[in-house]
Amino acid sequence: MIKAGAKARGQQSSKPCPSTFRPDLYPDAHWSAYNLLIMSAIKIRGLKKSYRVYRKKEGLLASITGLFQRDYREVDAVKGIDLDVEQGEFVAFLGPNGAGKTTTLKLLSGVISPTGGAASVLGHTPWLRENEYRRRFALVMGQKNQLWWDLPAQESFRLHQKIYRIDSSEFQRTRDELVDLLEVGQLLGQPVRELSLGERMKMELTAALLHSPDVLFLDEPTIGLDVIAQHNIQKFLKHYQAMRKITILLTSHYMKDVAALCRRVVIIAHGEIVYDGSLAGIVDRFSSHKVLTLHFAEERMPSDLARYGEVLEIVEPKAKLRVDRSSIAKVLSSVLANHAVEDVSVEDPPLEEVIADMFALTAKNQADKVAAESLTPSP
Amino acid sequence: MHHPSYLGVFLTFARNSLIRDMTFRANFLIEGISSVSWMIMNLGFYTLVYRFTPSIADWDKYEFFVFISTTMFVNSLVQAFFMPNAQELSELVRTGGLDFALLKPIDTQFLVSLQRVNWASLGNFFVALLLLAYAVPRIEGFELSPWHFLLYPLYIVLGVFILYSVMIALAATSIWLGRNQSLYDFWFYITNFSRYPMEIYEGTWGTPLRQLFTFVVPILVVINVPARIMAKPLVSDQVFLASFAMLATAISLLGSRWVFKQALLSYRSASS
Ligand SMILES: Nc1ncnc2c1ncn2[C@@H]1O[C@H](COP(=O)(O)OP(=O)(O)OP(=O)(O)O)[C@@H](O)[C@H]1O
Ligand SMILES: [Mg+2]
Repeated sequence: MIKAGAKARGQQSSKPCPSTFRPDLYPDAHWSAYNLLIMSAIKIRGLKKSYRVYRKKEGLLASITGLFQRDYREVDAVKGIDLDVEQGEFVAFLGPNGAGKTTTLKLLSGVISPTGGAASVLGHTPWLRENEYRRRFALVMGQKNQLWWDLPAQESFRLHQKIYRIDSSEFQRTRDELVDLLEVGQLLGQPVRELSLGERMKMELTAALLHSPDVLFLDEPTIGLDVIAQHNIQKFLKHYQAMRKITILLTSHYMKDVAALCRRVVIIAHGEIVYDGSLAGIVDRFSSHKVLTLHFAEERMPSDLARYGEVLEIVEPKAKLRVDRSSIAKVLSSVLANHAVEDVSVEDPPLEEVIADMFALTAKNQADKVAAESLTPSP
Repeated sequence: MHHPSYLGVFLTFARNSLIRDMTFRANFLIEGISSVSWMIMNLGFYTLVYRFTPSIADWDKYEFFVFISTTMFVNSLVQAFFMPNAQELSELVRTGGLDFALLKPIDTQFLVSLQRVNWASLGNFFVALLLLAYAVPRIEGFELSPWHFLLYPLYIVLGVFILYSVMIALAATSIWLGRNQSLYDFWFYITNFSRYPMEIYEGTWGTPLRQLFTFVVPILVVINVPARIMAKPLVSDQVFLASFAMLATAISLLGSRWVFKQALLSYRSASS
């Protein structure tokens, strides 16, 4: 066995640069070795999580009978997803409410254990909760805070220093750097309960980054913040990621966050990954139409615009039409042939709209599927 | 290579708790004063009882005062170090705040058991010291030996560990149950049982009760063992109970750790 392994490695080293992992060459290779080879920071295979929830019935009598006979229902929060994230990538994780984003991040942080599947982050299985792993990542949740409520943030930072055993000079340097970048230096001595939401979020980020994690999970870090505070946090994250080259997985419902930060977007809906690619690609893939804006030169607008496409808006002498992607060229040439047009623009619909449409579509598909399932008679 | 410094972390917990208590000074003072006055009232009550009887189940007045101060030592330590945390655990489970404890590269049980120190509860510790210093020299035929200095504190600590184990195991069940707020009630029953000399549990009902709370849930040894070491002559018939108390502590600690770990495996966090 050992001999075979050594031989395999010998063969491997004679090749200049192995681009793919060959399990046949490394029969006893460990996952972490695999990770080193392909530099993937996060590797998820068939990850599943379902929750058994107690279905409460209405009314007092039903609650009492519920004490003796419980009615359970399985909620499939994550339904076997596959995902690879390379070291240094900044990936956005989008999806409608209840899609399973937070559940995935909790699985990857080892807060909860999966019902099935595998995941490896930096070569560790998260839910084994090994200290070596826990020292290398951080999770920030926008809706929750981990700082001591009644104490100034600096006291919580000091506690982190002790828990992660960061040496004093290193700790001071990192803290000062983060605090400078986030511009919260003068607030360090103020009890956390007296900070605004935005200020508190910055403190949470500082606390999470004190131990210089290699992987960072951000669950809606900008939730509830105003535009300026959102922008500040985006700026910080962008700068920090560019500087440290750490791997970040971010969930957010604000497209601005995503557009500012992430080149790669993963969309999850109902526990399944439905898209993985660039932000711009979402529009190509999911939007079936373009928005055509016409600026007419004539005094009178043509009254029969509806034959070119769905009229979105008319403010004379301008009109906005929604036109099928496939027929845009045909429509445009016929408009230009029939009317005097001063200016034309063809645009993709706004990203928010495309994503909202897509979420609505997946929700509908899901509902249809559930309805179909419940119609089929059970044996 | 990088083991967290448990002592350093604990001292920071203690320090942060003190800073917090100091920001709510009035609350801190009221809490300290009220728990001390409650104990002093208790003491007054027993002084009154001893006006009418020379001894309760073989414990005369000053011996019983030693028993009371032992109760106070144990209770103040448990209430200062473990009680607020055990209560908090149920809340952490319900709100999903336990998530953060699970992220830290440090033993989770250690973290959730010692996060807060309730300094105000240590007030009774000092009252207990005074009471002990007053009562011990007044016990008939008492002879101080180095054994007292060694065994008494040791068994107080073991007693605290037993109560801690019962408490944390109970609190950990809130991970399964979603919520478990019966901790205070439970604590009340437990301390009610354990704060009397075990000799009073005698007879058709008493004896089985004593055996249950000695050998199954060993809460009767928590105070009885150290109190006897101090108040009664150090003779060989104490050896059995004292050895048992050691064993019981070890088993309780291991058992509660097992329960805690099992419970953590099924932690499901809270949505959002
Ligand atoms: N602790 C839990 N117990 C029971 N069900 C849960 C629990 N946590 C999540 N769920 C369910 O799992 C599904 C996914 O939830 P999750 O929190 O991962 O969604 P999300 O994508 O983060 O949504 P949002 O955008 O609203 O934050 C939901 O249907 C939710 O009700
Ligand atoms: Mg969420």
